[in-house]
Amino acid sequence: MHIRTHIPLITLALGIIAVPLTVKDPYYLTILIFIGIYAIATMGLNLLMGYAGQISLGHAAFFALGAYVPAILTTRYGVPCIAGAAAAVALAAAVAYVVGLPCLRLKGHYLAMGTLAFGEIIHIVLNAEIELTGGPSGIAGIPMLGIGNLQADNDTKYFLVVWVLFLLLFILTRNIINSRPGRALQALHGSEQAASAMGIDVGGMKLTVFVLSAAYAALAGVLYAHFVAFISPDAGTVMFSIKMVTMVVVGGMGHLWGGLMGAALLTVLPEMLSYFEDYDMLIYGGILLLMVMFLPGGLAQGGERLRGAFRRGGSP
Amino acid sequence: MSIDGTIVRIRDICKNFGGLAALQHVTIDVARGSITSIIGPNGAGKTTLINVLSGFLTPDSGSILLNGKSITGKKGHAITRRGMARTFQTAQLFGTMSVLENVMVGRYARTRAGLAGAALRLPGVLAEERATRARAMDLLQRVGLTAQARLPAASIPIGSQRLLEIARALASDPQVLLLDEPAAGLNTQETRLLGELLLSIRSKGITIILVEHDMELVMDISDMIAVLNFGENIARGTPAHIQANPDVIAVYLGEE
Repeated sequence: MHIRTHIPLITLALGIIAVPLTVKDPYYLTILIFIGIYAIATMGLNLLMGYAGQISLGHAAFFALGAYVPAILTTRYGVPCIAGAAAAVALAAAVAYVVGLPCLRLKGHYLAMGTLAFGEIIHIVLNAEIELTGGPSGIAGIPMLGIGNLQADNDTKYFLVVWVLFLLLFILTRNIINSRPGRALQALHGSEQAASAMGIDVGGMKLTVFVLSAAYAALAGVLYAHFVAFISPDAGTVMFSIKMVTMVVVGGMGHLWGGLMGAALLTVLPEMLSYFEDYDMLIYGGILLLMVMFLPGGLAQGGERLRGAFRRGGSP
Repeated sequence: MSIDGTIVRIRDICKNFGGLAALQHVTIDVARGSITSIIGPNGAGKTTLINVLSGFLTPDSGSILLNGKSITGKKGHAITRRGMARTFQTAQLFGTMSVLENVMVGRYARTRAGLAGAALRLPGVLAEERATRARAMDLLQRVGLTAQARLPAASIPIGSQRLLEIARALASDPQVLLLDEPAAGLNTQETRLLGELLLSIRSKGITIILVEHDMELVMDISDMIAVLNFGENIARGTPAHIQANPDVIAVYLGEE
């Protein structure tokens, strides 16, 4: 691999080092932390949607599971954060396996409806099981992340935790995409029949990528719960599932950087548009509509086109 | 023909779609290392037979033996792993992936790397990846697509796509290659090259089951031909035998 292919990643790593040194304003730090959290969830959903070509409108449920498990375990039972996080990811993966078995037999709109229904069920359970989840009022007082004496007890440290995790996951995910299993899941997108003819167990592969993407969403949920210190059923709404899908689509399906771009845009945009008060949703919707119309490949594709234009302009 | 010489035994296969009998008691022996062609008019059940053989359809009755072992009702991916690979009537490539990656996917059944090993780029996985890439490049060279290796598969001409499908199927180290109309959409020159390619594949000991409408190609390269008509196997024999068979002339070949 050429050094040039690593430039974006090295730039990101330098950026992660630079932010704690330069950004002191807690408002901006908070936004950056949220971008990192959503970008992790979006990376997993991109594997499922962009690469394997399967839609899920229920991923907020995995995010919420990821948030509720450590919330319950740390506040009620004093379980260490790291164990809570591991339990959250494991539970979300197990639930994804059980839900995925019947759901992934569906295709297209039916798969979307199946996962939508699953997300709604989890949302209802979170509201109704007051003993366990605190019901609509949720769970407060979730501690910051930490292991022993190492505590991410301020925004700067938390920023580093989230973004170093993102960077690690990005590298691991990119490795997967450029490998035997990664090519197999992209093959599902191209043609399920041909994938099967290549010896790929189509059902098994779909289930694998669904479970994997749920684990990413759960990890993002863990990071969210420990950062915000409060969790309510709002984290598991269908609207949030759709927002995650929008992040993937706007960022660029099947483009690993696209997930990050989509997460950044959809986190920053509402903040910027709050200036327009009552009209913010209108402008927000308008921008997304224009993007889907003129950049169907998402921000990542737009970036590539721009780079291509520069190269053509630069060479005789 | 001796039992040892038969690699695929198709026994009394029936397949109905609603009221339509697509295959009726079809029995064909395919000799190891042969090119066995299946011909017949449109709607005769040729593609249905390929789909049944490759595990995309389950027959209503009858059995299929590969190397003496039943593969009846097994799923497509399991049959590929057992050594029978296929192509499709309309090329089904992984369009956004590169030509090279398409062939690399074809190695799936013969490689092992899992998610964890791939994510961590373990030494064994990297070595396997290099071998997969080298093997895929070899196959592309064999079908003459080396120059197109990096292009998206959907962007290459139809004739090249057909060859790519064959390279991709060969990547799974098949003992039996099922080809569903590989010459469809090819010009005369391309068809001639395809014929040479198929003969060279046979010379490596790979058995080919060919469904094809191009009679010149079929008569040129086939060792054995089976004729289907309305789902029934009405004739079997060598090209010379088939060309002289009055029933076959009546339903398919016609008068010259």
